[in-house]
This record gives sequence, structure tokens and C-alpha cells, in this order.
Amino acid sequence: MRSSTADGDLSGSSSQVQGLLLFDEIAEAMAAELVLIDHGLMVAMVAPPFDLRLGCDLAIELTAEEVSPALAHLLEAEVRVRAWTVSADGGFKLVDVATTVDYRQWLMVRVGNMKLTVTKDEGLIVNISGGGCPDIPFLNIELVGLRLHQAPRPRELGATICGLMLDSAFLEACHLLGVKR
Amino acid sequence: MMRTLVVATYPAITGSPIIGLASIAKSGGVRIADTEYSCMQGAFALIASATTVAEANAAPRPYALLCADVGRGDGTIEAFQLLPEVVSQVEPDIVVFHYMKPLVSLMSDAVSKIDDIRPQTTLVADAGGMYAAKAAGVADRFELMTPDVGEIGFLADPGTQHPAYSSKFIFGGQDFDPAHLAQRAWESGGSARTLIIKGAVDHICREGRVVARVSEPSVPALEAVGGTGDTLTGIVCALMATGLPTVDAATKGCEMNRRAGEDLGATPATSVAEFIVSIRASM
Repeated sequence: MRSSTADGDLSGSSSQVQGLLLFDEIAEAMAAELVLIDHGLMVAMVAPPFDLRLGCDLAIELTAEEVSPALAHLLEAEVRVRAWTVSADGGFKLVDVATTVDYRQWLMVRVGNMKLTVTKDEGLIVNISGGGCPDIPFLNIELVGLRLHQAPRPRELGATICGLMLDSAFLEACHLLGVKR
Repeated sequence: MMRTLVVATYPAITGSPIIGLASIAKSGGVRIADTEYSCMQGAFALIASATTVAEANAAPRPYALLCADVGRGDGTIEAFQLLPEVVSQVEPDIVVFHYMKPLVSLMSDAVSKIDDIRPQTTLVADAGGMYAAKAAGVADRFELMTPDVGEIGFLADPGTQHPAYSSKFIFGGQDFDPAHLAQRAWESGGSARTLIIKGAVDHICREGRVVARVSEPSVPALEAVGGTGDTLTGIVCALMATGLPTVDAATKGCEMNRRAGEDLGATPATSVAEFIVSIRASM
């Protein structure tokens, strides 16, 4: 995670042929990411290319050579993959730029369309704003009032890309306040 | 005076659809079909603020179609399935799409069905409803969308399907310019006819051109308070329902939302329930 402002090419298209694993559910993609990282694969969460999208989609990008072993790992872990493909363009990367607003005793961390606000002294989550997917009001209920060190990570409860963005903001807040997760 | 229907999800793992006319309960919560709900972030905040403004103007209160969804999309699908029947029964003049999973084909289908049933209906989209409308390529059928600074770059970029996917138009970057992005969004078909770009300065745009800016009162903490965008959409829709032109409703709504924050002395730790009480008090 970088902090402060956008400072690079964020279009995210790769010039190499990439493998893409496609999922019906965001939660399946997030579970798959954890399985593949555990097996030492280099993966990235991306949006599928335009012609492969159904809606609120999340795909996993990896090298074309690693598609086959990845499918085997996911089969073993019982994580369902809708389809796989290879693409010369790869997918679109998720926003990974965090910006912050200092409100004296509070700190707001913004990643993409999501914002998380905590107290600086205790890391108490006081507000979650932004986003538009249905898990965000749910995460608001579940997380506001908890401290960063004790709260579940948003990706454990969320099921959409907005939830994943909130997870990035959560981790950045932990990093900035020195909370280990 | 016009009738408004709010189509959205509510944050519960399971639950029956909530369908009915909204009112403000004595406790300050929102009452729909004889059940009371607290004014939390999301559709309840939007409906509570819209109801508050409607009651103050002796205008029709909004009608709700809400289904349980915590992100899996089940409630979103159910809401879209129920929508044609509810539109036929309620005969709304304004339909607002709010928190929902951005399922592109369902949004496209919903707009088509509304056009079949009530072609003159004014469409408004915020949150996931806005993401779906843009991604489905039907944004220009909408009268109003309310992106924040983290979302306008998404509307302006035809290649992205969700604000979480990176764009060179991201807030904080050197190219970030709300006026320019509004124009790009309109020209590329990613924008409603009217936009409220929420930020330190609210930009109100009509067909890609900035026609008003609202910066006072300045309440920087509002960006942190989850649900204040929902209340703004609710206020503006309620004002539109009284017959105000969209740009006038948007301008007045931005001022009212900010005034409520100022009167409350809002901080980043303020809850949206407190904020809605302040909307009522500041009117």
C-alpha cells in the first residue's frame, strides 16, 4: 500500500499474457487468493476484461504458467472457479492508493471509494463511509465501536469489492497507528 | 407533488422484503409497514431524511422496497424481481436506486421494465444503484446521480465497472478536476443529466457542465460520517418530489445537509442517527 497521492500509472494493464481465474462470487475470489498465496503463488485481485464481466466481478490474475497448478490447489481447497482464461491485456487492478485526512484526534483513511475513521489514541473505529455495495451498511454495524486490534478484518465479513476496499483502508489505518494485524 | 419509491437493500443476513410507505416514528426512527427501524447508514438514512423533508413540506412520503442483503446479492436480486409489481401498484413519479449489488444485467432490465410500465418516471441513482446504472450503460436515462470524489472518476472512465478499479482520474491525483470529470462522464455516457459531486465543495452539474457550487457552511467532518451522502440524496429527492427543478433541489439539498452538520457541531465520530435528528431540527 502506498500512501498520500496517486503517483503512477494505475491503469493496471499488463503487457504480458496473463492467466485469469473467474468467480461467481467475490467471497470465492477472496478465499481463492488466500489459498494461492499460501501455496506461494504471486497473484493479484483484478477486474476481468470488459467482455468477461458479469457485474460486480473480481478475478485473480497470475502468470499463464501458474493457472494449472492454481486450479489444482483450488480444487483441493474446494473453492469453486467459474472459468479461467488467458488474456494479453490482463485485468484492471484494484485501487491501492490510500489518502488520509487528519481530524486532530481522529484519522480518516480513504482508499478508492471507501473511508474508515478511527481515533488516533486507541484505534477505535468511529465511522465507515462511502461505498455502495450492500455489505457496507452491514460492516458499519459490525465494526463501528470496535478497536482495530480486536475488530474482524472487513474482508472476513464483507462479500463485495467495496468490502475489499474497506479492508485496504483498515490495514492502512493499522499500519499508520502501529497496530499489528 | 410527486410520489417517490426507494429501491434498495437493508443490512440483514435474512429477512422478508420491507415494502410500504415510510413515516418518522416518535422515537426518531423510520417506520415502514408498521415496523420501526433505526436510522443507520444506507437506505434507512436516505428514507428517514426524505420522509423528514416530505413531512415538513406536506408532500407525499416515500415508499420503500427493501430486501435483506449483506453483499451476496440475494436481496438485490429479490428487489429487482419485485420491482415491476411494486411500480405497477405504487405508480411512482420518482424511483431511487440505492445500496445494492451492482448487477449490470438486472439494472438494465429494470430500467427497461420501468420504461414499459411508467415511461415518464424520473430515475435517481446513488451508491450501488449508481455503479450498476453506469456499468449497464443506462446512466443517461437517469435524472440524478450523487457521486463523491472517490466515484466521479469511475463515472468518467468508460473502461471501469466499479469505483474500486483504478483510474488515472482518482482523487488526489494531478488530473483530478471535478468539472472536467463531469464533462467526460456526460460525453462518454457515464453520467445522469444532473450530478452532485460531493466534496469539500459540492459541484452541481447539468449535462456535463458545472451550474452551481456549494461550499458553505463548511463542515469538513461530514466526509467521515457514514450516511451523510445517503441523507443528501434523500433530501434532494424529497425536494424534487415537491416540484422543484432538479438543479434547484440539488443546490438547496446540499445547503440543508451542510446546515444540519453545522447546527449539530458534527465531528468525525458523529452518527448518522444524530445527524438526521439535526436535519429535522434545522428545518
